[in-house]
Amino acid sequence: MNYPVWNLDIFGGGLLIALIAVFHVYISHFAVGGGLFLVLTELKGYREDNPAIIEYVRKHAKFFLLVTMVAGSMTGVGIWFTIALLNPSATSTLIHYYVFGWATEWVFFLLEIISLFIYAYTFGRLGRKTHLLMGWIYFGSAWMSLFIINGIIDLMLTPGNWVQNHNFWTGFFNPTFWPALFFRTFLALMIAGLFGLLTSTRLKDKTLRHRMVRHCALYLLIPFFLLLASAWWYKSALPPELRTMMFQSMPELKPFITGFIYLSALLMAGGLLMAVRIPKYLGLTAAVVLLIIGQLYMGCFEFMREGGRRPYIIRNYMYSNSIRTADLASVQKQGVLKAAKWVREKKVTKDNLLQSGHDLYNLLCLPCHSIGGPLNDITKVTKNFTPWGLANMIETIDRFHPYMPPFPGNRLEARALGAYIASNLNGRFDSEQPVPIPALTKPELPPFNPDKDSYVLLSWTDMGMQAMTDASNQWMILPPGVNLHAMLIKRGESPEIITDDVRITYAIDPAFGKPAAQIPFWQNSKQLFGKKLADNTGLSGNGLTGTMQSGDDDFHADLLPVVPYPSDGGYMPYPSMTITATDVKGTVLARTKTVVPTATEMGCNRCHGGLWRVDGRAGIATATAGNILKVHDRLSGTSLSKQAAAGKPVLCQKCHADSRFGEKGDGKQLNMSASIHGFHANFLASRGADACTACHPAGELGASRAFRGIHHSLDLNCTNCHGSLADHAISLLKAEVKAGKKRAKTLMQHLKPEMAATAKEIKPRQPWINEPDCLNCHKDFEQPDDDTTFNQWTAGKDDLFRNRTDEAGLVPCSACHNSMHALYPATNPYGKDLDNRQPLQYQKKPLPMGANKGCAVCHTKVMDEELHHPNMLREFRNQ
Amino acid sequence: MNAATLIPVPDTIPVGWGWFHILLTLTFFLHLLAMNIMLGTIIIAFVQSLCPGDSYLPVNGQIAKKLPYTVALAVNLGVAPLLFAQVIFGHFLYVSSVLMAVFWLSIVALLIIAYYSAYIFRYRYTTMQAGRTFFTGLTMLSLLAIGFFLSNNMTMMLHPRSWTRYFQHPDGLLLNFSDPTLIPRYLHMVVSAIAFGGLAIALWYTYQKSRGQAGSSRWIKYGCTWFAGASIANFGLGFWFFGVLPQGVIVPSTLIGGLFSLFLIGGIICGALSIIQALRYQPLQTLWYALATILLMVFMRDLLRVAYLKPWFSLSDLHVESSWSPFLVFVISFVAGLGLVGWMLKTTYIGIHDKEVRS
Repeated sequence: MNYPVWNLDIFGGGLLIALIAVFHVYISHFAVGGGLFLVLTELKGYREDNPAIIEYVRKHAKFFLLVTMVAGSMTGVGIWFTIALLNPSATSTLIHYYVFGWATEWVFFLLEIISLFIYAYTFGRLGRKTHLLMGWIYFGSAWMSLFIINGIIDLMLTPGNWVQNHNFWTGFFNPTFWPALFFRTFLALMIAGLFGLLTSTRLKDKTLRHRMVRHCALYLLIPFFLLLASAWWYKSALPPELRTMMFQSMPELKPFITGFIYLSALLMAGGLLMAVRIPKYLGLTAAVVLLIIGQLYMGCFEFMREGGRRPYIIRNYMYSNSIRTADLASVQKQGVLKAAKWVREKKVTKDNLLQSGHDLYNLLCLPCHSIGGPLNDITKVTKNFTPWGLANMIETIDRFHPYMPPFPGNRLEARALGAYIASNLNGRFDSEQPVPIPALTKPELPPFNPDKDSYVLLSWTDMGMQAMTDASNQWMILPPGVNLHAMLIKRGESPEIITDDVRITYAIDPAFGKPAAQIPFWQNSKQLFGKKLADNTGLSGNGLTGTMQSGDDDFHADLLPVVPYPSDGGYMPYPSMTITATDVKGTVLARTKTVVPTATEMGCNRCHGGLWRVDGRAGIATATAGNILKVHDRLSGTSLSKQAAAGKPVLCQKCHADSRFGEKGDGKQLNMSASIHGFHANFLASRGADACTACHPAGELGASRAFRGIHHSLDLNCTNCHGSLADHAISLLKAEVKAGKKRAKTLMQHLKPEMAATAKEIKPRQPWINEPDCLNCHKDFEQPDDDTTFNQWTAGKDDLFRNRTDEAGLVPCSACHNSMHALYPATNPYGKDLDNRQPLQYQKKPLPMGANKGCAVCHTKVMDEELHHPNMLREFRNQ
Repeated sequence: MNAATLIPVPDTIPVGWGWFHILLTLTFFLHLLAMNIMLGTIIIAFVQSLCPGDSYLPVNGQIAKKLPYTVALAVNLGVAPLLFAQVIFGHFLYVSSVLMAVFWLSIVALLIIAYYSAYIFRYRYTTMQAGRTFFTGLTMLSLLAIGFFLSNNMTMMLHPRSWTRYFQHPDGLLLNFSDPTLIPRYLHMVVSAIAFGGLAIALWYTYQKSRGQAGSSRWIKYGCTWFAGASIANFGLGFWFFGVLPQGVIVPSTLIGGLFSLFLIGGIICGALSIIQALRYQPLQTLWYALATILLMVFMRDLLRVAYLKPWFSLSDLHVESSWSPFLVFVISFVAGLGLVGWMLKTTYIGIHDKEVRS
């Protein structure tokens, strides 16, 4: 924020520092351990009075000098230069608070140089004692350098109380100072052994070679056990939350942790192999291989340490993006661009969206990410997002990614950053134009003659807005399954509901009659549901034509496998169903048509990659579905991707209970609704109905626009009844908290209620049971005073609109008003009156059945009694 | 764009800025000595290697032998002033470093090239022929490039107005060519190094002469001649540098301007005296005047930096969050470390000398 950012593109993501640091750290540890190796080996030569060993030490010292003094020292300076370029703020902090630490280390660096030159160039020219003393001075100076640098480096990982008191010594002798010092000292000795093997395996004299190789192997083996002990100590000294993050919550670190463990074993085995006799021709190769393994070993350790520091550059003090923790709130308040010095524009506007996004990228992402480079490539980790999806993820990035800093900007800045990365770098866009919907001809109305016809046949579905998932090769949340209902009424002064001696059949529009050709549901039914379904047959055994079952008052056909894909291609989420009532002789008594809504327009691809599966507008593509499993695996430690790849697609309800389908789950995980809303609310909260329509097929620009009833015409949206996504999620999660599920608390911790002052005020609820009740607003069936009803739930299943009947207990609400979300008069995007065919058929107007005192639809006499519900005998308000 | 808005907010410092100023001046002076010997001798070695004949072989052999030491010392002694400069001028220095990041970071690679090349020069000196010119050339060019980049950074940090170029070129490829002082300043430093390289040769052979090595006088004259010639040339470069300083940076009537003028006159006098002594082939006397000249030039350089930054920043703006104990630890380590260095050198000298005498 304070400094300009070097635009590195592919070289970003810490590549420069990784290249230089891993190399330097290896050599600098060699510079410490190698010092002790030199003097002890020289002593060995004197003790054994063996000039050959002294000669070996002399040559090794020269090699040591060339490696450590040139490559080691210069790359050390290089690290300093590099960090100052990549993160000047953090470097400045470390320099200013620890200047005298660095300065003291510089003194020891000077002593190292002088003593090493003297030591390496005075073999045989100085007395033994003096020469050894020079070696000891060198080793002491080198170890003191390690001592000092270790203090400052570990401050960055575990600063302890330094964050509060800024005291030099508190930070220096931080919680991991001692274990890290021991760990590094033992590591330094092992590395000395590895370099020793490199020079000793080249010795020509066989006896000397064997002797020295064994000697060097001991440097690898003896400290090894001490290293493991100090590693355990080091790990134990980490603050618990850091330990959890490093070893449990960061899958990115797993390869390095695993690598460290495996390479430990390899080094041990290599050391033992070298300690035993190894032929000369193999010796050097083995030494080189071990040296490379050592470098990888060091790399694993450093990547773990560096990774563990995330999202900070100095833990709890400064984030990787150079924003101090103490400044975060103020930056968030004013916005990143305003707080930053080195940006072109101080505010995001429509015209500078991408340019501001680029500036924000430089400030916030570039410190850790490259663009197309080998390390932390931003294009790879964001490739699945559209600008909208990415902006949402950015705003809440730290919630499920503990190694990412919280986004310090405002919503517009998140949008600009999301647009820059997703559009400019990844070429992904959000559709900003409405999806073109083919114009349908006026829907055909079955005939009805009010003077002659004796029957009224009404039909509706459980839900006016229904979705299904078509990624069943990989997973399934919502199987195709529309519940169709019908009621046959015999007209008369006192109309009669007919259930006996009649047959009600249904037949879908033939274009939708063979769904098995459209989606892979039937191929996977056995794996998903444990039973092989015949093609085009739903989970309850019903096909798309058939006879409805008779209930107490109505007829129903459950779980009809309707899919929104007509046989000639495209997407049409409102197929038509023809319902026919016949008597026992087969005489047609009545016929009507209804839509059987089924949408596959779930916007998973805005965050999970891929494109729409069908016609650029609907369906879950393979790539999208695959990414969803991957993310689930990453965040929840599952292996669902593997399972799906092995031909066993995942039924989400196997673990996540779902009362809608009667699935009990595994009893441990959150129920389906709480889980899916609770998780996604963390990214999508405070976005009003946009959050809902990101996944549900009710977006104004989408291909389904399934919220199409009267409430839509009155400009209400999802949140009026269901609350915002955050509220909705909290209500579901609270019930799960009550049920003792810890995960619910985790998901709730960042959610802020929007339609209630506190989460405490939100009433817990069970999905599909405790839902908004129409009568909350329409008190006594009157005109509402309010247009929101969040937090007042139906008490049980029977109170749900779809299960409720009129006050006489005879006619279901849906029979006259149509199913929820498509309440009469509805406006269907695929044909204005597609949903209104029954009211138009029976009463020539698209209003609820019997509206405007239209009792004559069923009653053959004038009615003055409000039999079905109060306030019904009046003119419809919103015609 | 107002360049002042680009200047970062400095961090707090643990002791008063005066301490850092003293440490910066002292360690930069030491670095300059080592750097001058390193760069000066390698330039002389390179120039000599281009001359016909092999009369220069002994002196180049000595340079080859000592070069790794001088490189190591120049680097080490360069660390401390850069550290102290970052403490009090970091918010300018980090910015200019980022603006020229590619060149700034290339210093590390160039340093490694120069260093290894110096070692090859040392270890293969007696066996290679054309390689001598190649490796001295490689070391020299690497070191000259490093110096050039350092000059760029040290001048670019003084010109916040030039920083706005970053918005067109954020790729770390900016240099400070628009500053008319860059080239004379750089050449002034390089030629000063040549002079000091010559003086180092003269001093080494003075020491050899004191140990009775025949033929040393020739090289004393040789070194003194290099010193005198380069120093005379440097007068011209110095005036060029002075002449292109922007008007108003140094105002003689101010304290900074007054001190600057005083040091300038002192520097000219000491420089002239050192040349006279060099022309008289008196390396030791030359050394004292040369040291005084360099010290005065270091002071002037520092005053110039303060003067350049005056519109933007004053050292007294730095906020102190006192922390004396680490400072004391450093001072003790520094003094003890220098004592230990002295003891090691003395012990080694005596040890080797005794062994040579015994053998």
